[in-house]
Amino acid sequence: MPKVTINGQVYEAAKGKTIIQVADDIGVQIPRYCYHPDIGIEGSCRMCLVEVKSAPKLLPACATPVTENMDVRTDTQRVHEAVRYAMEFLLLHHPIDCPVCDQSGECWLQDYYMAHAGHDSRYPLGQKTRRRKAFNLGPLVKLDQERCILCTRCVRFTRHVTKTNEIQVFNRAHNSEIGIFEDRPLNNPYSGNVVDVCPVGALTSADFRFKARVWFLKGTDSVCAGCSTGCNLRIDHTARAAGGGIPGYTATDGKIYRTVGRRNVEVNKSWLCDEGRLSFHTLERWPRLRQASVRGKQQPVSALLPVIHANFESVRSDHGDDAVAALASATNTNEGLFLMKKYFKGRLDFRLGREVEQYQQQQDELLRRYDKHPNTHGALDLGLAGGLGGLRRLRDLAEKKEVRGMWISFHPQLVGEDAPEIIEDLKRLIEALEWSVVCTTHDFGWAHEADFLLPMAAWAEEKGTYTNYAGRVQIANRAVMPAGDAEPLHVLMAELLNLSGVEVPTDPAAIFEWIASEVPGYGGLDYDAIGPSGAAVAPVPEEVLR
Amino acid sequence: MTPVSGGYAVDVPTINVSERARGEHATIWSTFRAFAVTLRRLFTSLFKGDIPTINYPEESRPYSERFRGTHILTVRDDGSLKCVACYMCATICPAECIYIEAGEHPNPEIEKFPTRFDIDMMRCIYCGFCVDACPEEAIIMSREHHQSVYERSETIYGIEKLMARPGIDAKGPGYRPNRPMAEAKIFKKQEQQTCPFPSHIEERHPAVLYESMIRRRG
Repeated sequence: MPKVTINGQVYEAAKGKTIIQVADDIGVQIPRYCYHPDIGIEGSCRMCLVEVKSAPKLLPACATPVTENMDVRTDTQRVHEAVRYAMEFLLLHHPIDCPVCDQSGECWLQDYYMAHAGHDSRYPLGQKTRRRKAFNLGPLVKLDQERCILCTRCVRFTRHVTKTNEIQVFNRAHNSEIGIFEDRPLNNPYSGNVVDVCPVGALTSADFRFKARVWFLKGTDSVCAGCSTGCNLRIDHTARAAGGGIPGYTATDGKIYRTVGRRNVEVNKSWLCDEGRLSFHTLERWPRLRQASVRGKQQPVSALLPVIHANFESVRSDHGDDAVAALASATNTNEGLFLMKKYFKGRLDFRLGREVEQYQQQQDELLRRYDKHPNTHGALDLGLAGGLGGLRRLRDLAEKKEVRGMWISFHPQLVGEDAPEIIEDLKRLIEALEWSVVCTTHDFGWAHEADFLLPMAAWAEEKGTYTNYAGRVQIANRAVMPAGDAEPLHVLMAELLNLSGVEVPTDPAAIFEWIASEVPGYGGLDYDAIGPSGAAVAPVPEEVLR
Repeated sequence: MTPVSGGYAVDVPTINVSERARGEHATIWSTFRAFAVTLRRLFTSLFKGDIPTINYPEESRPYSERFRGTHILTVRDDGSLKCVACYMCATICPAECIYIEAGEHPNPEIEKFPTRFDIDMMRCIYCGFCVDACPEEAIIMSREHHQSVYERSETIYGIEKLMARPGIDAKGPGYRPNRPMAEAKIFKKQEQQTCPFPSHIEERHPAVLYESMIRRRG
């Protein structure tokens, strides 16, 4: 463990780390463009130059490993001047089209110019080199060569992370520019990440292009619900996340504009797959279910819940406890599923298809997994894969009239399509049941066959925890308000439990406390202590899986 | 300057109000004096033609070149909107009355243009910050200030109304960065028969406009 002095403070750093990594760990800001912790070292931007006592020249902090008794200074006049000149060169041919650039507001050129440069350009605007603007690299990425500073983060991303090598540096010296080969567009399943890693406005998202200026957006840390990997992301959305204002006039429910990868070394590093990145559009694919209804007649949710509870009670008393069952969705949070298990006394299942076999299978080498539900592991941990045996078996039970009343919660897959046979089975299940409650997010035609239809908050509209494929509990926060009268599942279940005489809190943190006290593996976990990067639970025992 | 008694730095005459009222006490003489003033005014306006009254609204006083009336969106030489939808005006606007939606311009040099640009004139406080913030001289103010409409929704001006509406020519431009317009000009119907991008202007509803205003309060 070499002892390193940075700006007069002595730190112990792990051997082999570079100066910039040590500085990041201890919170010393070193400007950089080309260095990205998950892509690797290039040393081309010359922004991270620091003064090291024993070295005659300034050294790039990103490429210099720390050594014993190294004395680093990041705040001397020499360093300031070096950064200032580096900035002047980088901005020499910059078109200064910030007003139309989607990156402005989160552009590192803007930030570092204000922090370290602040010079007037010595190059007249009319004489700057013009290059190609706004052309498509692939379906999701647009390139503007004028704004590019050739940090080659995108080149190294396709070289080291996706290993597809679509983006390259073409030509030499002043003529060098980022580009793709004519017949090979940037269309790998992770192409959106080059937009995230680009520190300037050279690579911008075609999906988010001109939708909003970033300073109008509010970021909410969350977890992707596209598959069981549970990649960490930030939801950028508008509007308040909690009520107020005049409904329909000054109050809005908020709108999600984009999602951006959030770094979590344990799960997804900094990356997101394109499907997951665009998965929030799935919520707009169908019209949302906004109001509860009883056989087509609209009713307020609060009036319906006592009726539903009374119905379940009467089925239980007429045909025994086993006549009531529930089908959960592995896209719901642990909190919702846990309360659901409590209300239905363990007679529930969540398996629609082959989730349990698939949730740990990788679809590719990077992130994606075959199971497109974010909380399959959590549902297994809570013991939801019991004797009921999944959707197919529940349908058989209903057809044999062993199950008469059922609660079916359904959340569509955010990535890909739900298998048609699942929808077919759901239809047959509802037909076979004596009476049914369907609690869903969107206005699906098949759901109207049910006696009771309840709107449920979708992903990004509720707060709670998901447990990813590796058993990592992560918090998904609420970014926007639920559509219409929709409520999160844990709120609905808490109200039903209250009706049956069990006092239940509606706050996810309090419910999680309950989970921690009962579910094996979750003991010792605390909602507030999970934090932005999640916490691991103990592995699922084999007998629970079966 | 030394302070005098009473704390004033200068010598302020004190007025005894009751004394003054006694002096101006209405008598028969003061009544006739007042009639005389009226008569004198009547004859000067009748025979000398010196009428101070303006027959508003047929006539109006000349307004300052810097008058901040309803906005004008300026155009390029080819008659297309100068605006590049950078949202600087919407960002600076203290009344949060500007709503913009941007689209892809066919020319990559321009790149961006507004497919929708709404100003809620009832919310606007006519501060002129949008004009100051604009990097393109694309929004200026006019000397027009009439707001007589039948419905509240008509006070939300869209692109068409902001760039070409009757009355802009008559009143002329108001507050703007350059006195003779340097980079842009005001759209004139005679030069260009069709308004560019009319198809983008759709039915507007106030609730949609307010979505942009709520953004920053979240």
